[in-house]
Formats: sequence, structure tokens, C-alpha cells
Amino acid sequence: MTLRTKIESGKFIVCAEIEPPKSSNGDVIRRKAGQLDGIVDAVNLTDNQTAIVHLSSIAAAKILLEEGLEPIMQMTCRDRNRLGIQSDLLGAAALGIHNVLCLTGDHQKFGDQPEAKGVFDLDSIQLVAMVDQLNKGRLLSGQEMKQATGFLIGAAANPFAKPFEMRLIRLHKKIQAGARFIQTQPVFDLPLFTRWMERVVDQGLHENCAILAGVMPIRTAKTIEYMRLNVSGIKINEDHIRRLNSSSDPESEGVSIAVETINTLKEIKGLRGIHLMPARWLDSVPVIVREAGLKSIN
Amino acid sequence: MTPEISTREKAPLTQGEKTLSNLLLLFENAIKIPLFRCQRCGECILSSTAFICSQRCPKQLRNGPCGGTGEDGSCEVYPARTCVWYRIYYRSQLLGRIDLLYKYNRIHNWCLDKTSSWLNVLRKRIEPPIPFTRHDKQAVE
Repeated sequence: MTLRTKIESGKFIVCAEIEPPKSSNGDVIRRKAGQLDGIVDAVNLTDNQTAIVHLSSIAAAKILLEEGLEPIMQMTCRDRNRLGIQSDLLGAAALGIHNVLCLTGDHQKFGDQPEAKGVFDLDSIQLVAMVDQLNKGRLLSGQEMKQATGFLIGAAANPFAKPFEMRLIRLHKKIQAGARFIQTQPVFDLPLFTRWMERVVDQGLHENCAILAGVMPIRTAKTIEYMRLNVSGIKINEDHIRRLNSSSDPESEGVSIAVETINTLKEIKGLRGIHLMPARWLDSVPVIVREAGLKSIN
Repeated sequence: MTPEISTREKAPLTQGEKTLSNLLLLFENAIKIPLFRCQRCGECILSSTAFICSQRCPKQLRNGPCGGTGEDGSCEVYPARTCVWYRIYYRSQLLGRIDLLYKYNRIHNWCLDKTSSWLNVLRKRIEPPIPFTRHDKQAVE
């Protein structure tokens, strides 16, 4: 079963994220894929995340396909213009990659090469619209293609950034442009997320689009501090820092926090799945999936 | 027929139009730069962004803020600035123009950069944003 059929059948979706390496070593991806095999429904491959050069998400997604897992290729607008993005999307489709997550991308200032020129020829909403047009068999130039692409289009949402209402407008625009699944920024603030989901359900935005809540397992208070300083759009829960600092076994405390978060999320009306973002702690994913009772595959 | 999601380049400007464009640009810049901090993209969407130029955004986003707006509304790239889309949202609310934020702003035509937006409207080189139906099914016009 593909991610598309799973979403259409209403199954509770579990995704996880792999960072491609900062080198040409594809075995890193194969090893990480092995850890997730049979655990999750699909795996995100990040596209030069935090504006630092990594192995390309297309190549990483292809490796994942070869390993028998289902990739979600992330595509940002920071590094390519409309020509580059279209050609990369056609290439990805030819390689058998059929899930794409459309993102604007972190600003190059946050990476290790702030000297770079940011492209931002499109924004994420325009990218969603463009992929949708490719799916209808037309390039952005208007030229008809002999073979249309068949991408399942995803996009991101950050329910925690201000202004709250503007985030719903953005979500609305992404769905109207063609997004069929949404992965949110990691949830640390459960009450705010619950309030956001209530609004999403009120407005019927969950009907044509599967909302997957981001969950980030964290094992040390130091990681939290790092996230706070270096990763955009993340809101931190002070209570988690306290729990991790006072625990004698922070790793299992980190797993517990993630499992508790997932258990609360599962009860939220309209939520269709979980997206695990285990920044540098992939080992935690199988444990969390098991302990949270997220029986995934097939 | 589905609407164009990008602004396509029409025939190039004639010599006469170029002269007129430069002339109009003098007036346009004199008004728009001091009033709206216009970035001269040539494809003006000020009327749907509560008269705040969205092109001051470091990512030049035309359809709303990125996920990095700070708790206090600051821009994540230049923390000393307020996110333009944060200002656009609150001014739209003040002016009763929230509906306009639901519109889809097309992919920018870079051939129009530093040309007169007024001439581009007159010569039908740019078209208004695409109205998206609101979640409450009420059409936005």
C-alpha cells in the first residue's frame, strides 16, 4: 500500500524523517533506512535542511526506494528557481518518487554559507500550485506534457508561530492550491495545538487533507537549547527541560515525553497521523512507535 | 479553464511603452517608496496586503509569512525588524481586509522587475490575484 492509498483509506499515518549525510556516502541512508524498515509508513528526506549542504533529497529518496521504503522527498525554494524545481520534479517522478513535501526553505543566513544567494523564486504555496499543475500534465510555461506526474503533494504548517489566524489562512491556501497532506512543526505546546486543530476542524480543512502532527523526541536539555537557538519556528516546553534535567535516565525520559505527547495527540479530533522528527536520534523511533502502540506498516 | 498560477510574460515593451514606463516610474517611485517602502517589483500587490510592501520580506514571500515569525512578531532573518506579514495581518484586520489575504498571489514575472506597475496594469501585463474560496464557502471578491 502506498502512502496515497493509506491516506485515502483513512489509516492513521506514521512518518519519520531522515537527514541525508553531509557527504557522498549513500550507505548512511541505507543504514538509517534499515532502522525504519517495517516501522513507519513513509520517510521524509530533508532538502539541505537548516541551509547546510547535504546529499540531495532526490538521490536519498531513490536510495530509500531501493531499500523498499516509501520516500517523501522534501523540496525547498531556496536553492532552485522555477526551471530547476520543475526539472528536478520530473526527474524524481521518473525515478519512481511520488510523494513531495513543498517548503519555502530556511533562509541561507541560518546555514554555514550565509554568503549564498537565496533564490526564493517561488514560495511554498506557489510550489504546491506548480506541482499540482504538473500533475495535470502542464508545465509552468503552459506546455502540455506527454506524461503527467502523479505526485502526492504535501506541505508544512507551523501552528505555533504568530499570528495564529494567519497560520490558518496559509493552511487554507496550501490546501486550495493542491496539498493533500500536511506535516506540522513539532508539537511541544499541546494546548495551543489542540486549539489550532479545533479551528482546522471547524473550518473543515481536515476533510480533503490529512493533518500529521510533528513530534520531536529529545534526549538532553542541551538539544533543546540547540533547537531553540538554531532551528526556526520551534517553540520549547520548559517543563520538558525540567524533566530531562532531573531524570537519572534522560533517554528513557525523552521517549516517555514523546510517547505521552503522541497519546494525547491521538485523541485529537481530525488528526490523521504523526510525523516523527528525531533530530540525530533515529534509534528512538522504533521504541516510540512500539511504546505508543502505533502499529504501522500495511 | 484554470487560471494561470504565474504571471506570464507578454510581448516585450515597445520603445514608446518603455519611455512611458520610465516616466510613470518617476511618479510611482516618488509616491510608493516613501509611503510603502516599495521594492519596485513591477507587479504590485499592495492593494491586497493592506498597503504594506510584502517584498521587504527577506524571502520575498507573496502569500503570507514563513514559519519563522517570532513570538513578538520579529523577522527571524533580521530580528530587529518586524515580520512584514505580521504587520500585514494586523493592519488587514484593522482595515477589515482579512478576506484579501485568502487570495493567491501569482508566481512573479521577473521581466517586470523595476518597471512601472501602473503601466503594467494599464497594458494588462499583470492580472489581479486569484480569489480562493474561503473555508466557510463564501466567495472572496
